Order: sequence, then structure tokens, then C-alpha cells
Amino acid sequence: MTHVLAPHEEERYRAILALDPAAPGTLDALIVGLHDESWRVRRASAESLRRLTTLTEVAHRLVAVLGERGETGARNAAAEALVGLGDVSVAPLIKLLRHSDPDQRKFAADILGQLGRRSAESALVELLDDPDINVRVSIIEALGRVGSDTAARALEGILKEQDLLIRLAVLEALTQLQWPPPLPVVVPLLADAQLRRSAYRVMGLIPQVAATELISRGLSSELRSVREAALGALGTQASVADATLRTEIDSQTRAALKRVPDAVEFVAQAFEADDMPVRAGALVAAGALREPSLAISVAEAAREDRLLREVIRTLSRLGSEAGRELLGRMAELSLPARAAAAQAMLEMVDPSYVPALSALLEWAEDDLRAVAVKALGRTQSPEAVAPLVALLEEPSVAGAAVRALGVLSGGCREAVLKALEEVVERRPSPAAVAALAHAGGTAALPTFRKLARAPDPLLRAAALDAAMDVDPAVGLELARGALADEAAPVRTAGARAIGRVGDASAGTLLKRALQDEDIAVRLAAVEALGECGAVDRAPELEALVSHPDGALAGRAVRALARLGTVKPAVLREAARHADAEVVKAALQAGAVSAEGVALAVELLRHPGWDVRATAARVLGDSGGRESLEAVRAALAAEQDALARRALSDAVERLSRR
Amino acid sequence: MTAEEFRLLRDHVYSHCGILVREDMKFVMERRLWPRLEALGLRDFSGYHRYLRYDAQRRVELEAAVEALTTHETYFFREPNQLKAFTDEILPVLQQRNASSRRLRIWSAGCSTGEEAYTIAMLLQQSRRFENWDVEVYGTDISRRVLATARRAEYGPSALRATPPEHVSRFFVPLGGNKVKVRDDVRAWVSFGQLNLLDAEACQLVAQMDVVFCRNVMIYFDLPARRRVLQVFHERLVPGGYLMLGHSENLLNLGADFELVHLRGDLAYRKPEPPPRGLR
Repeated sequence: MTHVLAPHEEERYRAILALDPAAPGTLDALIVGLHDESWRVRRASAESLRRLTTLTEVAHRLVAVLGERGETGARNAAAEALVGLGDVSVAPLIKLLRHSDPDQRKFAADILGQLGRRSAESALVELLDDPDINVRVSIIEALGRVGSDTAARALEGILKEQDLLIRLAVLEALTQLQWPPPLPVVVPLLADAQLRRSAYRVMGLIPQVAATELISRGLSSELRSVREAALGALGTQASVADATLRTEIDSQTRAALKRVPDAVEFVAQAFEADDMPVRAGALVAAGALREPSLAISVAEAAREDRLLREVIRTLSRLGSEAGRELLGRMAELSLPARAAAAQAMLEMVDPSYVPALSALLEWAEDDLRAVAVKALGRTQSPEAVAPLVALLEEPSVAGAAVRALGVLSGGCREAVLKALEEVVERRPSPAAVAALAHAGGTAALPTFRKLARAPDPLLRAAALDAAMDVDPAVGLELARGALADEAAPVRTAGARAIGRVGDASAGTLLKRALQDEDIAVRLAAVEALGECGAVDRAPELEALVSHPDGALAGRAVRALARLGTVKPAVLREAARHADAEVVKAALQAGAVSAEGVALAVELLRHPGWDVRATAARVLGDSGGRESLEAVRAALAAEQDALARRALSDAVERLSRR
Repeated sequence: MTAEEFRLLRDHVYSHCGILVREDMKFVMERRLWPRLEALGLRDFSGYHRYLRYDAQRRVELEAAVEALTTHETYFFREPNQLKAFTDEILPVLQQRNASSRRLRIWSAGCSTGEEAYTIAMLLQQSRRFENWDVEVYGTDISRRVLATARRAEYGPSALRATPPEHVSRFFVPLGGNKVKVRDDVRAWVSFGQLNLLDAEACQLVAQMDVVFCRNVMIYFDLPARRRVLQVFHERLVPGGYLMLGHSENLLNLGADFELVHLRGDLAYRKPEPPPRGLR
């Protein structure tokens, strides 16, 4: 205790941290610490209080500290500590809401707001008519954080009051609760300069054409502050609008901005606003204006992640002139802006983009290059063939280049084919072989046969995949040989190929691959068995269900399900697996049987939320009305939002049976 | 991407490195990871989740996913007010305090492609306070790929958008086109390493530091992860060492192991020095 009164701050700080939570007197020492002149000591004390065992007593002592006028530091530290204690603080704070001192009531409301516990809602609603205006504002703000529909309705009811501060707080709280009041209630508030911004903000939440009209009217106001507030509302409304309303928003915005002489300048400035809804509104406005000069500002708005969707949409609407502007200045853009611009560019691309896209390939990051590669394919220009073929040797973008060449061959097949044949002849690579398969078809089969004997195993595997793509019979022939190849990638390709075209008799072929030393070969073999229907290998697959490797076990369960031979004991074995993915595979496999349904009922209590959600879906699909009670009970106990949704759907479906 | 796929991927990334993708960022996750699906030839995000769980290349891919999810937005001389406070107010203190050892260690944690680490080295050189000292600026990042760029030290106009022209001519060599390279004498003070800030064991490899710069990195972490990272910084800083956070970040609700330092031009955090021996 004496150390917590030591003269040196650091010593007191360390003494607080060293206190034994279980020792007598610790609570008193920490309360002393809350009154320390140093904020570090106060904060350490506030945090240490959480470690005590008698939390209810702690909460009451802290509430008492809140009443110490003149001890601002201690009161704030106590408030922080009460927030840190969580649920145990709620009851004493609700009691404090009825204290005779308005200062204390305000403190209670503020802390309850920070705690964010729904359990405080009804107490707060009851006291919405507190005689002290500051307390009322705090209660309203707290409800904005903790409230449900009940609070929102209560708040809506006091929006008609005369006090400006109250109305302002209510508007903000309703916005926070995403609960817009009826439009006729909001409209008169637009006339008040002090309420206007908040009124517009809440109006943005109303997905109605009538609200769009009012917002658009604000856009052409002579007052800049009104225009900016309307822009914020526009951003909010666009985020909650469906496709029909969105079209209406765009057309009304365009019409309104036509009446604003400095619209482009105004929108450009709005991109610099601190308020995110205003920047969101600027995006909508830029899209409506279709003004290419705004392209850079639009792209840079992507620095705020939450605006990414709107940025891509807007850029796509600005047209190919904007696309060329972006491409030309890509090196100057911030990274999020570049990524967004690249995504949008795919929508605008035309043959004239080839030189700029090729230049991008020279310096850009791999992700951006991958988009440029895709865009080159979409240009449908023969000029794009050479840069794409050159990329086939670069592992990071080769896959994208293969696909782009495939797309490009739709428009200029001869040029693509000629370039690929040359490169495969001169310097074959797996990517070039794959590209040739896409573009060349059966004419390239002799090349693939030859490459299937190449010294490089990756080329042998690629040749097999390519042959399979263009002629399954030839592919199957090569696959038989591949299963005996000394290189694992080739054996994997062989097993995969047999899965694609083999029949039930392929089980014999795959037997050795099933015991291969390489896990990738075994995985491919397990999958192949399921695909080709080789039921004779079911016992080996059953043995794999308990394999500690979740990939192997899960794939074995899925293969057995495809073969239609999942035994109840196997299902139960899989359901006990430590890997949740295997358990989910078991649930899905069991959906066709009564045993599987019974298993799903049991797994409603599984510790993994995703397993419980899968079990609920299986029961919704396959369970009978007798499962309803178990699903209802699980729903009542479920805390996870996604699992709750799945359980709720299941209850609804089972109730109809 | 379904809500469930989003959650599975989010949980997987979180368990790997503490980076939490907020619920409202589903669209962003979808956009950023989609190129990875395309690169791997996968059809949907369930397949991608399985790939991250089971494929032989899963570690590499997880790194790629984390990199895609954390925008490495950085450029030279970012947040100039803070850098000025560092140069004018912190460096003199460090010069005095370390005068006997003539050794200085600065950690750029979450250094991305290296701009911050090189900026710090440039400021140190410009101050001329540490000539003939043993100086090291250590840049770390979770992504190996960005470190490769950092080591290459070649940059384009975007990275230089806040760099005064006189600094460009002093600290960079033109490479042709619109690219420049950091001069060798600056590079000589900077080294890089791959590090997951949540891997406390791996962080033990980091030397005792005089300053940690960790700007705009903790925004990706949730509260428990932030606390763990701060604990690492606390351990790796010498007593009296400084922690420099980004302007949008602070240590509210994160404990009081650091003390707030009011500089003339900015705020910084400092690991307290133990009380004088006589007061213990």
C-alpha cells in the first residue's frame, strides 16, 4: 500500500501493477490509485480493478467515486473502469440514473452508452423525460448506441420537441440506429440551419424517390453548406438504395447538378471533405456528371476502404476517356487508387488501351499487372498478343496470361495460335502449353504427345493436362503412363485426369496412387475415385476418414458420398474428427440418410459455429418435423449471428413440414 | 462471397496474424482476394478457404492473402509534422543519450515496401548527428514480397509524391523512365526482415531499439492483438525509447505501459525509465 503513495510516478505505477488481486486491501489501494495525479497510474488502477474477484463490490465503489466532485481525474478513471467491467456495471449505473444530482445521472447515461448493453435500454427509455436537458441529451446519445427498435420509436416520439439540442441529439441517435423517421417529420427540419445537416443525414436513410427529390433540390441550393449536406445525404442514400432507386438517384442528381454552374469544382472539392458520407455523395455526383476530369479524385477516394464499391462503380461510368487518363497517370496514384482504377478499367477497355497497358506491365506490382493482363485479353487486339505471350514465362502472372490469351483468341485466333506455336517450339513452358491447349485445340495434340516425354516433369504434367483438355481419349492414354511416372506432379496430373474421364473400372488404376508417398497424389486419387464412381475402392477411402490430415479425411468423406456408400459408422467417425472441415463434410454426406439427420441434431451442440450452421442447414433440408424441437432449442441458445440465421431458416422450413 | 465464406476466411486470417477484417468490409475482402482465386484457378471462396487450410502451398498463399487485405499504402516523407518532431526533438535526445555507445537502432515495424525505413535513414543522415555512429534502421513486414521490393529500393512517382525535390536529388539516383533508386549510402543504414508482429517468439530476434515507428499498421488489428503488439514494442524498446504511431492511432484503451510525450510539434509515446535508484 505504501508504494502506491511513493513520490515517484514510475514507482507508483509499478506498485499498482504488482498488487495481488486476491490480497486484502487491494481494492482500497486501487481506489487510491484512481485518484493519482498521473494518468498512467490512474489508468493502471482502472485496468487492475478488472482483475479483482469481487466485481460487484468494485462496481459499487466505482459508482461512489463518480460522485466525488472536484476529482475529475478519478471520476474519469472510474468511468473508464466501469466500462471495462462490462455487464456487472449495468445495474449500479441504472440505479445511478435516478440519482438526485443531474451530474451523476449524466455520468451514468454516458457510461451506459459506452458499455453498449441492450439490457440498459428500457431504463434509459423510461428516463427520456429527465428534467435536466444535459442528462436528456446524454440519455438520447446512449440510446443511439444501445437501442433497438423500441428505443428508436421512443426517440422518434420526441423529435417534435422545441428544444434544438434535443432534436439535434435525436436526429444523430436515429442516424446511428439506422432508423429514419417518416419523411414528413424530417422535411420541416431542413429549414433550420442548425438542424439541416443532421436532418439531411437521416433523410439519406430513407430509400424513397421523394427523399431523393428533396436531396437533389438541396444539391442545387445557392448555399454551399446546404449543397454539402445534401451531398452527404446522397452518399448515404446511394448506399441503402436498390437498383431501381439507384437509377433514379443518378438521373435526379444529374439533373440537379446541371443547374449548378460550378458543379464540377464543387464535387472535386467535396472529395477533400473529412465526412465520409460527403465523399460518398461526391462519388455519386461524379458518376452522374460523367466528368472524366474527376477520374483521379474518384480513384483516390478508394483510400477509404468503405468507399471502394462506389469508387469502382463511378469510375466505370466515367467512360474510356477517363480510363485512358487513369492509365496514363497510374504511377502517380496511391496504391488503393491504382487497385480500384485497374478494376474499373476492365469495364472500359478498348483496343486503344494496349500501349498503356503494356507500359503498366513494365513497372506495376503483380496484382496490378494481373489486372492489366486481363484487360489486354479483353482488348481483342492483335497488338496484345506479343506482350501476353512474353508473360508466359513469369510465374506470378503466367496463369492470368494463359486465360487472357484464351479470351484474346476469340477475336484474333490466328495471331494467338501462331505466337504460341512458336514459343512452345522454341522455349516450351507449362503456361505456354496450357495456353496452346486453350487456343489450338486438337491440332496441337502431336505437340502435347511429344512434350509428354520431355525431361522436365512440369512440362510432362502440363502436356497431359493440355491433352486432356482437347481430347479426353488421348489424355486418358497419357494418364495411364503418368501414374507410373517417377515425378509426383506428373502422377498427380495422371490421377486428376483419370478422375475427369475414367469410369467405375478406374479403381484398379488408382489403387497405387491411393497409397502414394506424396500427399498431393493421394489427394488427387481420392478425389478421382469419387468422380469416376470406383466403388471397389470404398474400403480404402473409409480407412482414410480417420486420417489426421484434414484434407485427406475430408476429401475421403466427400468421395464416399459421391460413390453413395457412406456407412453410418463412417459418418460417426468423421463427425469425431478434430478438423471442423471434416465434420462438415460428414454432415453434408449424411444429408441423404436418417443416420445423417440424427448426427446433425447432435452436432447442433458442436463448439464450431460453422459446424452448427451446417448442421442446421442439413436439418432444414433433410430433417422431419421431429427435429423441430431440437433446432428451436439450439436457436434459443445460439449466440453466433450466422448460426442463428441458419437455425432460424431451419425452424421455418421444419415448421412447414 | 457468402457471409459464411467471409467469416471462415476472416477467422483464418485473424488466427494467423491478428488482422481483423471488419464485418462491413466483406466487399473489400471479396475484391482484394478475387485476384488470388483467379491466379490459383479456383472457382469460389469455399475452395479458396480449403486451399488456405490444406494445400501444400498454404503458407505462401496465406501470406499473399494477408498482403492483399492490408493495403501497403506508403510513400517517402509521409506525415511530415511527425517526422519534423522526430528530427528536431527526438534525435537530439538520442544523440545525447547514446553518445558513449555511438550506437542507434530504429525499428520500422510494418515497413511495407521500405519507404518509411529509408525516410528515417535519410533524416538521420540529413541531421548529421550520427556520422561515424553504428546506425541501423530495421524494417520488418509480414509479407516477404513487399520486402523484396524494399530491398530493391527502386520507386516510382507515387512513392515520391510527398518528397521535396531537393531530397529527391540528394537521396536518390535516377534510373531512367520515371523511376529512381535510393542511394547506396542510405541503403547501407537500412536492413529488412520478415516478421509477424504477433509472433512474440520471433520478435525476440529484434535487437533493443531506441525508437519504434509503427504507423498505420495497428489499424488492422483488433484490441487484443494491439495489446500483444504493444507488449512486443515495450519489450524491444530500451527504457526511455520512443514509440511513434500514425496520426490516426493512439493508445486509448490499450494500457499505460507507455507515457505520453508532448513534443512541440507532435505527440509521441515513450517507455518510462525506471525511477532513480534511491527512490526504489
